[in-house]
Amino acid sequence: MFQALRTDNSPFTELQIQQLQQGLTGLDATQSAWLSGFIAGRLASGGSVPEAVVQPAAVATPAETLHVLYASQTGNGEVVAEELAERARQAGFAVELQSMGSTRPAAIKKIRHAAFVISTHGEGDPPDDAVEWFEYLSGSRAPALKDLKFSVLALGDRSYSEFCAAGVDFEKLLTDQGAATFSTRTDCDVDYEALATEWSGSVVEYGREHLATESGAASTAAVGRLSVVPQAPRWTRANPFAATVERVQKITGLESSKHVYHLELSLEDAGLDYEPGDSLGVWAPNDHDLVARVIDRLGVDADESVEVDAHRHSVHELLTRHRELTRLSADTVTGYAERAGRDDLAAAFEGLDDAGRRDFIEQRQFIDLVEAYPPAGTDRFDAAGLATLLRPLAPRSYSIASSGAAVGEEVHLTVATLFSDAIGSERKGVASHYLNHHVKPGDEVPVFLEPNRRFRLPEDRSLPLILVAAGTGIAPYRAFLQQLEEEGANPDVWLVFGNPHLRTDFLYQREWLEWRKRGLVTRIDGAFSRDQEEKRYVQHVVRDEAVRVNEWLDRGAHLYLCGGLSMGKAVEQSVQQALALGQGLSDEGAAEAFAELRRQGRLLKDLY
Amino acid sequence: MSNANNLTTLKHGEGSPVEGIKLRSDYLRGTLTEGLADSATGALAEDDTQLSKFHGFYQQDNRDFRDERRRQMLEPDYQFMIRARLPGGICSPAQWLGLDQVARTYANGSLRITTRQSFQFHGVIKRELKATIRAINDSMLDTVSACGDVNRNVMATALPESSSLHRRVCADAAAVGEHLLPRTTAYHEIWLGRERVAGTSGQDEEVEPIYGRTYLPRKFKIAFAIPPRNDVDVYAHDLGFVAHVEDDEVVGYNVTVGGGMGVTHGDPETYPRLADVVGYCTPGQLIETAETIVGIQRDFGDRVERKHARLKYTLAERGVEWLLEEFKSRAGFSLAEPRPFSFTHTGDLLGWQRTDDGLWHLALFIENGRVADVESISGLAGMRAVAHLLEEKGRGEFRLTPNQNVIISAVEEGDREAIDAVVAEHGLDGWRQSSPLRLNSMACVGFPTCGLAMAESERYLPDLVTRIDALLEKHGLSDQPITIRMTGCPNGCARPYLAEIGLVGKGPGLYNLHVGAAFDGSRLNAMVRESLHEQDVLDVLDGLFADYAGSRRDGEAFGNYLHRTGAMELP
Repeated sequence: MFQALRTDNSPFTELQIQQLQQGLTGLDATQSAWLSGFIAGRLASGGSVPEAVVQPAAVATPAETLHVLYASQTGNGEVVAEELAERARQAGFAVELQSMGSTRPAAIKKIRHAAFVISTHGEGDPPDDAVEWFEYLSGSRAPALKDLKFSVLALGDRSYSEFCAAGVDFEKLLTDQGAATFSTRTDCDVDYEALATEWSGSVVEYGREHLATESGAASTAAVGRLSVVPQAPRWTRANPFAATVERVQKITGLESSKHVYHLELSLEDAGLDYEPGDSLGVWAPNDHDLVARVIDRLGVDADESVEVDAHRHSVHELLTRHRELTRLSADTVTGYAERAGRDDLAAAFEGLDDAGRRDFIEQRQFIDLVEAYPPAGTDRFDAAGLATLLRPLAPRSYSIASSGAAVGEEVHLTVATLFSDAIGSERKGVASHYLNHHVKPGDEVPVFLEPNRRFRLPEDRSLPLILVAAGTGIAPYRAFLQQLEEEGANPDVWLVFGNPHLRTDFLYQREWLEWRKRGLVTRIDGAFSRDQEEKRYVQHVVRDEAVRVNEWLDRGAHLYLCGGLSMGKAVEQSVQQALALGQGLSDEGAAEAFAELRRQGRLLKDLY
Repeated sequence: MSNANNLTTLKHGEGSPVEGIKLRSDYLRGTLTEGLADSATGALAEDDTQLSKFHGFYQQDNRDFRDERRRQMLEPDYQFMIRARLPGGICSPAQWLGLDQVARTYANGSLRITTRQSFQFHGVIKRELKATIRAINDSMLDTVSACGDVNRNVMATALPESSSLHRRVCADAAAVGEHLLPRTTAYHEIWLGRERVAGTSGQDEEVEPIYGRTYLPRKFKIAFAIPPRNDVDVYAHDLGFVAHVEDDEVVGYNVTVGGGMGVTHGDPETYPRLADVVGYCTPGQLIETAETIVGIQRDFGDRVERKHARLKYTLAERGVEWLLEEFKSRAGFSLAEPRPFSFTHTGDLLGWQRTDDGLWHLALFIENGRVADVESISGLAGMRAVAHLLEEKGRGEFRLTPNQNVIISAVEEGDREAIDAVVAEHGLDGWRQSSPLRLNSMACVGFPTCGLAMAESERYLPDLVTRIDALLEKHGLSDQPITIRMTGCPNGCARPYLAEIGLVGKGPGLYNLHVGAAFDGSRLNAMVRESLHEQDVLDVLDGLFADYAGSRRDGEAFGNYLHRTGAMELP
């Protein structure tokens, strides 16, 4: 892509050349073009490339580290892996020891040197901790691994027919993706110790030859890589990025009344940098069956071409991608009554008071109107009028559940399927239904960033955090914790989370428990409303923990609320009660203290 | 060899991680109370899952959902197995009704009769643990030391011909069990809400005079047998007492030491072992004998390697002579020479039997001990109806047998008709119809709740028995009682190493096949094939049944035949 830089053909030192080459390697054409314009622009305006753009990389990058990854059912694998890691450390090269169960399989993309310890159980099955890796590497998303050098120690039991099969299969999965082994796989029976030691020796030998020099080079070039921070967003609401769906996973348990899904979308090459607390806008088309039903009930022609916002689309396209079918407005109700010749609908709607009309609208979708009040008379319903009758389709917005620092060029969402609890028995939310039940890995979803500067981590990362959420309101807190973990920040964190049942509805429970175990989260209070006779919600926890709430606020805690509006209101009341109780304040005094929290920017809300 | 890995050389708490947990637990308290209050998880704190066993329950999870829940980023579907303590397996109708209520309110709607004459409840969730244990206590039973590194439920022959002998031996079994209970008040504080009594010295001598602060190296099992019945499998226990009877009086007990089933696949250092008959004691020496043997195991059992920590290894490596010397120096008396005795069988005699006092007993066959309302058998409702009937009549009791069956016991001639009717109505008369093989079958719980299971057990054995029955029929062996036992792992809960056909789980759908044990429980079987699929099991048995049908001696049991003829090379 570019002529090789040397000290004799450029003004750079050896070190700078190394840094530049590292930074420029792998840039695609657009990125290179952008970068050249960026630097030219800087020079033209008399500036220089700002400091902030060049970010120092960590001393040992993933590429220069030996990754020791293990997965075993009995703990033998962990022992072997630990011993290997210790020997590697003594040999003086960078090593990272991880359980495959607590490492995302996608991490393999950044790894260059790896040693795997994998046991086999049952009839050649991988241990639980490695199942996700097997699925990932044998699935359609398996990455190319031509830069990976690795070796496998397989633990097994010769009395089973499929001896060490998991280790054998795993090696094949990696080589199938282009990875190469640096030493022969070792298959161990139940008396594994001697062979394991021998294998560790070969791994360390490899490390000495290949890693010692590499990490030596890295330490002299400690400010290694250029990372490029883009300026203005390329992708907007009007010009969304087509994000590829990588994973759609239900995360509420089998018997849950809720259908909550975790989605992972790829932002590869989008240059979409988001911050924890931000939201993602998602454009979702209306459900195919719903569109077909509206067309059928109205008796219009799906293929009829109509004018929409200065373009021409078919009726089908109009209803699928350009107009709301799942959210009603008063104008739509009255407009439809008029066009459909249904004076009875107009009369019924006009006869309601304000609250009645609001309920009417909230409890119905357009199809409910059409089915309850079909167009009268024999005239064909005017399809062209639909474009003005219905509201323009709006994107839906979701609090992002990941930190870019942790997941790279991905964005994670936590989406609950909305079912309207009203008239129509199966009225679904447009985007939640689309994301959870329609899209498949590999599909593209149009998205854009919606920054939310009012819902950020405190700049002082040492301040305590009280995170209160109900349901999918937990999403941005997952992003917070991922961010804090990446930064190595460790403030006191208190999660108060509510949902119906502990057993099925604690979203991302494993991650939260793991964070608590590792000291990143100080305390978790679950308010599982239906796990006892009397319903218990997050506001009750806040009320019951008044002493602790005051104590944390006294230490400068920031209080976050995320979830439904009514939950937010109830928690605010509980906090005021807690303030009154803790500081001996009158109701008014507590309200003032609460207002002061807000003024100080220590009460942050993301309610919907 | 780890002869020095014991309390004579180690400090309390040294050795395996569990030793440290016990030491730090403040006499079994740990952080159980805090763990119950943790609203973020259905689990206890990790260390407490060791301590909970001493309180009678295990933390488990539904393994059928493990994989799905991992994907869902939910913790495993945690639930608890609670075991009651029931010396001699005796239970009044009122107690039965209490436990039935617990099963339906807090557990998975079934009662499970264990292979050690007790009840287990499965599927209790954490926030209902306390209420469940209280309800069991309200039934005048408890769960103290039903599991854990202590002496567990003491067993006794369920139905000897002499009722007075049964009363006497059960009373002795209960007294030994009572004497060996932990003395810490942790159980009463945590589950029953009693205040901790302050002002004690906190020293071992005062808190746990028998066990000390780190209790035993491993579980400890005691059984009482009344010959010629060996339903308790006395040789499978750490400590056994075999009643010596003269003129319908127990004049003493032969003492057996060092039996145990647990094995680890692929580890030759572990093995099942039959107890040795080491001596004889008088009824007056009974408690002291038991306490002394427990004390020896406490001090000399392996504290480092838990799978090598049972008394059987201590004895196998140090010898009976050493044990008797150590016993003498501690107890101040020697055990006498053993008296002769013999057993005839380990199974239950099913159906109606009359004891010497004229009372009647109906031994019901409960397949794999699972009392539940499923398909044609409304076991839970049926037993509830029987309990109500006995309450109405004001007599009778239940006895759980070591073969996972239930005896409706001590009723009068005139009660039989009514009991038969209720039993038949609820499909509990399987003892009339089932094949002899099925009646002599036993399986452990296994999947999906047991954390140790490698293969199916209770959910699978009934089907396999049907298939083996077809083979027996083919060879004209349908009326031959043969003991068959299956476990999902090698730890041996259903005592598979003492069955004529033993199947020990190795992996999903894979079993090690053992054959050739004695029908009276006096000889272990041997593993003859490893890691077999069902069809291989059936093929091997088909061949053995053919030989047996053709060449057995009159009345010769299957296991004895194989042992005698070497029809199959037994190691």
